[in-house]
Amino acid sequence: MTEERAAEEKPYRRLETQALLQQIAFRHGLEAMEASENGNLAWVTSGFPVEIPIALDLGVVYPEQAGAIIGAQKIGPEVSNIAEDLGYSQELCSYARVSIGSTEKPDEVPMGSLPTPQLLLACNNICGTVLKWYDAISEMTGAPVYLLDTPPIDKVQLPHNQEYVRRGVERLIEFIESHFNRTFEEARIREVAELSSKATGLWIRALEACKTKPSPLNCADRFLTMAPVVSSRGTEHCAEFYETFVAEVENRVKNGIGAIRDEKIRLLWDNIPPWHTLKFFNILASRGVVFPADTYTHAWTGNMVAVDKSSLLDQVVETYSRVYLNMGLDAKVDKMCQLIKDYDLDGFVMFSVRSCKRYSLGQLVSKELVTERTGVPGVIIEGDMVDSRVYNAAQIETRVDALLEMLM
Amino acid sequence: MNYEGVIEQSSVGLKELVDSGEEIIGYIYPHAPMELFMAHGFTPSLIRALPGTASGFEESLQTFACSYIRNLYSQRANGQFLTLAGLLFPGNTCDALQNLGDVWKYRFPDDRVFRLTYPVTRYSQDDSTIKFLSEELRLLSESIAATFNRPFLSESYNRAVELVQDFRSSSQFLYSARVVNPKIIPYTDVVRLVRSFLTAPTIASASATKDAATVVRNTAEELRLLDNIESVRSAIMSGDYSGVKLPDDLETPRIAIAGGMVEPQAIASMINEMPDIPDSVIVLDLLSFGFKTVFTETPSKSGDPFTAMAQSVLSAPGEPTHEGLSFRMDAMKGLLSNLSIQGLIVCEQSFCDPDQFEAPSIERAASELGIKTVRVPLDPELSDRGRIETRIQTFLETLE
Repeated sequence: MTEERAAEEKPYRRLETQALLQQIAFRHGLEAMEASENGNLAWVTSGFPVEIPIALDLGVVYPEQAGAIIGAQKIGPEVSNIAEDLGYSQELCSYARVSIGSTEKPDEVPMGSLPTPQLLLACNNICGTVLKWYDAISEMTGAPVYLLDTPPIDKVQLPHNQEYVRRGVERLIEFIESHFNRTFEEARIREVAELSSKATGLWIRALEACKTKPSPLNCADRFLTMAPVVSSRGTEHCAEFYETFVAEVENRVKNGIGAIRDEKIRLLWDNIPPWHTLKFFNILASRGVVFPADTYTHAWTGNMVAVDKSSLLDQVVETYSRVYLNMGLDAKVDKMCQLIKDYDLDGFVMFSVRSCKRYSLGQLVSKELVTERTGVPGVIIEGDMVDSRVYNAAQIETRVDALLEMLM
Repeated sequence: MNYEGVIEQSSVGLKELVDSGEEIIGYIYPHAPMELFMAHGFTPSLIRALPGTASGFEESLQTFACSYIRNLYSQRANGQFLTLAGLLFPGNTCDALQNLGDVWKYRFPDDRVFRLTYPVTRYSQDDSTIKFLSEELRLLSESIAATFNRPFLSESYNRAVELVQDFRSSSQFLYSARVVNPKIIPYTDVVRLVRSFLTAPTIASASATKDAATVVRNTAEELRLLDNIESVRSAIMSGDYSGVKLPDDLETPRIAIAGGMVEPQAIASMINEMPDIPDSVIVLDLLSFGFKTVFTETPSKSGDPFTAMAQSVLSAPGEPTHEGLSFRMDAMKGLLSNLSIQGLIVCEQSFCDPDQFEAPSIERAASELGIKTVRVPLDPELSDRGRIETRIQTFLETLE
């Protein structure tokens, strides 16, 4: 009774689907261990066309997710220290640092170290750091790195850029086929593409449901439930998870149930969250602040429809070249303005992540542009996604307070 | 001449060019096709970070932005740039430069900003990287022609290829000569000549390098070192060190300087100002503004010029922003072990991802060869100069 009451008093509502998410994570972990033992495990970056290794029957894991788990356990500084002792600067990406740290001393990181990879698949559409990070892991594990190079584009992807990326995708398939003695089968890739498309479509439905007032999801909800669409697109269990998830989200919408109990202010979130301090969103929830949209989880909305190998390659090239972080500042500002309009948001919070240069450099300019174009105010707060040593809660609170004072 | 003096001298050279009516297109990433700008009638000039630059970046860049880009931005914000006809930013090299290009366009809308996007892939074993970069170069050329109404002239291109070839051939000889006998010409002189050419690639600056090479060649001939020098030059160009012939009486210690977009002159000046440390301890640098620019192949004058320039750019020694850490480490190990290097100074630009990611691998690779290393975090302002000097001096003393 007491517990029920305590839960009832929380300013936010926990998703029931979260329990299923834990089951999926557990299953995913077991499958990854098995794949590693069988010599078939690939580590993939979050923007990698994961459909291809999945269609070629490789197991995949996603080190950025492992970094988030390490961050959420609040052991980021300790695991970073392991990498820093190996000579990696504290100024480098904290996902990379904890990945290197947990690879060096996996026993010290029971939740967050990944099984040994046999292949490292990096796509630089999210940043240039991933290549150097995976190179470092390759030195430690001996697994080869395959880089899918997706040169940044402005608004339009020019034909020579498309052709170059397409050739990279073709070489990726050839590389996996030759290294793992696999054959690329069209029927299988169609199946994977359909499942991927289904999962992504469901994910988009959940995101778009947040246009409703009150918003059925808050930032933290989306950050937690995005994991399968990032790492397991193209698998049946991923699509099944999102069916259940969307049902819960749409049920909330139907019944007017918000992610927080008393929605007053709707804000946009820009950048990766501080995994070590997700309570940031809950504290704001108690003040009636909800984040119905963010630029991070909206990055996985490229929907692929492929009927054969050739059309799949075209889709991969387009989808993975046009991700949010691979576009110029104009496109980023456009996206933020669009989200503010579509989700009827009152303001925005930009998290300036010290160790993520690609996402963060340019925010000072885009803040001005977004306010100029939408008329809504924003604030920049600074910290890191995993390394809590550079997260100053008091300073952040002061800045956010200033924004809320403008809005209340 | 100290570092500040060299900067002053090259700035004066550039200013004189501007005053005489030359139009300058600046570029930031060293692997830019100088020949392309010259084919359109412009003088390309490598725009570098400068010491003594006051702040000015704070309105647009966070403090955790790479110190190099902060410095560039501050120079522009403080009005320290000469009037440039245009400025070329690199794409797909590092995240900081990528985003700086975007920020620049917004903050300085009157500047004519161009972008040349590079492939990161280096080991595709097909022609996709050359095709991609050739097309990027062709588009850049079209954009320059349309912006300034100045077509790409084959005659100018051919002259540019010859000019750059003259510089590269002479500076490669000087670099190789110093590996064989570091006393044959001071390191500071060599990097001053390189800096001078990259700042203002003119017949005069190419001739200065050529004249220095002639003097060194004469000395080398007297000392019977020409074969040794040629063996080093051809080994560095081919990556095959089996034919390297070094003299038996090499003076020690012999050190090399590794790093990225770090000013060679800045490191050389610091070492020169240390008591009892001769310039000749520096045998070689592996820096972007030195070795990596010098040991780039010259474009062929025959065939499609854009393909030739792409091949040239892609022939430069690998940068940490490229694919292939293991290839770079193998190449570095081949170079260090075969050129009898005993110590390595690893420079890391503050908040520079590529430098800071590569440094631990460089340290390990050198350690496998029994070569001592010291890592030197720095910024273009050398704001921690005292500590840097102490680190380097202590390191050099351990090698004696």
